[in-house]
Amino acid sequence: MSQFSVIGKSVPKVDAYEKVTGQPIYAADLKMQGMLYGKIVRCMEFAHAKVIKLDFSEALKIPGVVKVLGPEDVTQTTYNTGACDEMVSDKVGHLLGDLKDQSIFTDHVRHQGDAICGVIAISEEIAERAAAKVIVEYEPLQVFMTPSEAEKTGTHQLHPDKANNMAFQLPEAMFPGNSYGWGDADEAMKEADIIVEDDFYVNKQKQCQMEPHAYIAQVDGRGRLNCWSSGQMPKITHQKIARLFNMPMSMVKIHSTTIGGGFGARLGIIAEPETCALAMAVPGRPVKVQTLREEDWIISESRHAGDYWMRLGFKKDGTPVACQARFKANTGAYFTHASGVPFTTGAWLSGMYKFGALGYQGESYFSNQAPAGAYRGYGNPQTNFVLEQLIDRALTQLDLDPVQWRLNWHKGVGDDGWCFGVKYPSCQLSECLKQGAEAIEWNKKLAEFKNQTGTKRRGVGVSVMNHTSGAMPMLLEHTVTTVMMNEDGSAVVATACSDLGQGSHTVLHQIAAEALGLDMNEVTLKTGDSDANGFDIGSHASRTTYVGGNSILEACDDIKKQLLERASKHLDTAVENLEFGGKTIFAKHNPENSITTAEICRLGVYNYMDPETGEPEGAPGQIFGFSSHFAKHNSPPFGACFVELEIDTETGEIELLELVHTHDIGRTLHPAMAEGQMVGGAQQGIGMALTEEIYYDEQGRAVNSSFTDYKMYGSSDMPKMKVILVEDPDPHGPYGAKSVGEAGLTSPVGAIANAVYNALGIQFKEAPITPEKVLKAIKENGLNFA
Amino acid sequence: MSSRILPNFDLLVPNSTSEAVNLLAHYQERAAILAGGTDLIVAMKMNYESEILISVSELDGLDYIDFDPNSGLHIGAKATVSQILDNADVKQHYPALWQAANVFATPQIRTAATLAGNVLRGSPAGDCSCALLALGARIVLQSTEGKREVAIEDFWTGYNQNARKPSELAIEIIVDAPQSATGSAFHRMTRVNEDLAKLNGSVRLDMDGNVCKSARIAMGCVGPTTLRLPKTEKLLQNEEITPELLAHVADMVPTEISPIDDKRSTAEYRLMVSGVVIKRLIEQAATAAN
Ligand SMILES: Cc1cc2nc3c(=O)[nH]c(=O)nc-3n(C[C@H](O)[C@H](O)[C@H](O)COP(=O)(O)OP(=O)(O)OC[C@H]3O[C@@H](n4cnc5c(N)ncnc54)[C@H](O)[C@@H]3O)c2cc1C
Repeated sequence: MSQFSVIGKSVPKVDAYEKVTGQPIYAADLKMQGMLYGKIVRCMEFAHAKVIKLDFSEALKIPGVVKVLGPEDVTQTTYNTGACDEMVSDKVGHLLGDLKDQSIFTDHVRHQGDAICGVIAISEEIAERAAAKVIVEYEPLQVFMTPSEAEKTGTHQLHPDKANNMAFQLPEAMFPGNSYGWGDADEAMKEADIIVEDDFYVNKQKQCQMEPHAYIAQVDGRGRLNCWSSGQMPKITHQKIARLFNMPMSMVKIHSTTIGGGFGARLGIIAEPETCALAMAVPGRPVKVQTLREEDWIISESRHAGDYWMRLGFKKDGTPVACQARFKANTGAYFTHASGVPFTTGAWLSGMYKFGALGYQGESYFSNQAPAGAYRGYGNPQTNFVLEQLIDRALTQLDLDPVQWRLNWHKGVGDDGWCFGVKYPSCQLSECLKQGAEAIEWNKKLAEFKNQTGTKRRGVGVSVMNHTSGAMPMLLEHTVTTVMMNEDGSAVVATACSDLGQGSHTVLHQIAAEALGLDMNEVTLKTGDSDANGFDIGSHASRTTYVGGNSILEACDDIKKQLLERASKHLDTAVENLEFGGKTIFAKHNPENSITTAEICRLGVYNYMDPETGEPEGAPGQIFGFSSHFAKHNSPPFGACFVELEIDTETGEIELLELVHTHDIGRTLHPAMAEGQMVGGAQQGIGMALTEEIYYDEQGRAVNSSFTDYKMYGSSDMPKMKVILVEDPDPHGPYGAKSVGEAGLTSPVGAIANAVYNALGIQFKEAPITPEKVLKAIKENGLNFA
Repeated sequence: MSSRILPNFDLLVPNSTSEAVNLLAHYQERAAILAGGTDLIVAMKMNYESEILISVSELDGLDYIDFDPNSGLHIGAKATVSQILDNADVKQHYPALWQAANVFATPQIRTAATLAGNVLRGSPAGDCSCALLALGARIVLQSTEGKREVAIEDFWTGYNQNARKPSELAIEIIVDAPQSATGSAFHRMTRVNEDLAKLNGSVRLDMDGNVCKSARIAMGCVGPTTLRLPKTEKLLQNEEITPELLAHVADMVPTEISPIDDKRSTAEYRLMVSGVVIKRLIEQAATAAN
């Protein structure tokens, strides 16, 4: 029997019934009285240009057009759609060189899709027709698409403060030599018996959440700016919008709509500024801005592509003596996450293995690509692709087993985590490796594949990863929760934590029910209303269960404390003698002497006077619990992924046969959803490794900004999968849980690359590994499989 | 960029073929024919405009698939790809067509998409089109002037061009009857399962034991239309199928195609795999024949 009543069970997702019956309201579904429609005119022809003429006259002639707004008609305040600026102090932000370089409408197009102006009309159709009638003339500017083009002398400078278009570099003041790590990697490298080194390219991948971005804004009769947003960080949106329009937060209200997936695409803000600006021009009228998939593609951020150099040194016996790396990220046209991603890309590198010394340099460069930002994994899959392949290259030279070497050299409890000084409190990576190897029959297959013949070649690969549960101490991790006890003892838990579809509301619900000893239906969550919810940094860094859950536990502890104090009065014994037994509180030594929590709550609200004694019945006051919780740790989870695949050496096609995904989860709060996260993560990791990339033409225009030509693995493409959750409660996580949100995406990337290497003996330095690249490499290497 | 809003058009829904051809005679180029709409509506969301759409949805009796051992397979213009997949005669006698239908799009699209629409759209990536070219087919066109049949190899006259006159409605596709030992096969390569082909191929062999009496070979995504590969076909004619012959075939195929680089693949890759694809299809078709 489990010690828990709700935790650890695959209870129905709180929104499952609604979702499968089509009830939830997404922003696109919302229709309001008097609603107008906005259409943003975007530059689709050029990736870099100056607007030399902007003429609304023809558009304004169309009946039904209400207004057209250009750059001068909206606030001139600039902003950053990312969220990093809200997560570090101004001082750190200054040291990092963070920029607020975006504006609502621009006359300097920095990437295809930049917003030029906005049309407001009485229907979506009229708005679109009018948008097509806006006359914009452009003067094309030099287009540069990669870090190496960006830094060339003579290239157009996108921002005056950023020489050579270098948007970010680890700042000297914080990281001498613009590098972090430990030891002297240059010196240590000299001790190496073998060195492996290479330049890699990691791809620009899109989150592909199901719901395209849609927003509504309205200035109501009281002058309050309302915004219906599906952002994954509603309180950051609240703060950013208030600041952008110079209004007190009390005059801005964010209504969170149901979120149709995020994966980082909804981190920070997206088109809320444009939508609010349009609404402010027509006070009283709601204005809806609905994006098309192609539009969503270029206005919301993607994963950072980039050039990744790495050099690893080993002793003959496999001892890893040194690691040096440099990631030059392509941040695209605006700053957004230019500091956050190249910083953390190296953090995951630092957190993995016990290298004798390590030196990492992280940089990012502007380009005329659409901006990059947060995407599930946040730098981790990029590192996984490079690090795990180079490790295996070295192990081949050293004739060492990839699983055994990882068992020997991965970091664990007591070692420095991804953030120096924050030590790993728990780690079951060895167990993950062992169980995963057994599940995929590692030793047997490795031996078998050494002697294979024929044109179809199989391979197995392994990769490990570390991630995080929230981003403390690098970033602010703060969540506020209030718990209101109803007069019948049921509870309302209010928190701004969002549910992107991953099921966080279900898990938070479970945590509250467990803590209060209530059933699932005796707890309800109040979320999505910026007036009612206190601060929460938002859904990012796999932190909602971990930080939000702990915040709820803290608020529930506050409730329990108050209930016990009241019970002590009712039962006339000291609190120390009482036991909180779920719905009843009783005296430890005399369980008969008890009172239900429902009774305590009822008497607190309906605090009548006893007509016989003239005294109030019980203690007065409705019970509220509160927490303003700052995470105390980041309890990183680990994981190992194993892949078996088969390559058709005559066509270069790769078929994934099996993927075993192991995860060091601490404690599983909801088995079905935890597995779902691992499977969904694998699907995106597979995409990064094999099929997904945004391609641009010579003029810098995206050629595959929709699902016709941007290809993700579908359900019929997925391999047989096995998820193994290794449990070992973490000392800091809620009920011992560690995160599972981003982790599942990361290790499949390296595992697939390594399985390809195992099958062919070739490593691919550019992701994704397409059949075109595989076949070409087979021919170039003169390999003949028969 | 696409749009959520379709351009304006008038939708005409004739109840009979004669009414339909009268409307076509009247509107000519001003009208487009709407079948499943899985190509047409997508195009209209991008940039295609047509003043008039004439829907085939209410035309009676055009959703048949009839097989006759002598005259072949008769497919009405309204028959969908799903119907092809559900048809036992197709599966037995025309495996190439069945295999094309089997990998075609998704269940939702297959339920709407017609075979006629696939041929009339004439995309060089059309899957059923590729199978039909290998199997041998005729398109039956009707206008107020009467009916005519066009052999499928003469039907696609260039990229986005075909032999249909603006006044004509395609009413039927007839696929040649199989011989006593006919085998066929279809294969396509895609980036993921639900995708348009980056390369597709289909082979029909009329066999006598292990000797190929005649061959029809089609390949798509390697030219402006789906192509037949006459030189490769000739290599096979009256020859025993041996590994040596197949090696010749694999070398010949790339000389007959002219692929380009596009979003789905590269010319280089298509050239490299084309021979392998046809070699494997020949093996499969030969097995199916015997
Ligand atoms: C998501 C998606 C996936 C797809 N996947 C595939 C795939 O895997 N393989 C593939 O080959 N195709 C695919 N397609 C393309 C499309 O589904 C097929 O080409 C389909 O067969 C078209 O048939 P339809 O009935 O929808 O034609 P429509 O779109 O209605 O018409 C197509 C063209 O044919 C003309 N036409 C139709 N019927 C007649 C007639 N009776 N007489 C004269 N002209 C006519 C129309 O005017 C139009 O020009 C896909 C499309 C989508 C949207």
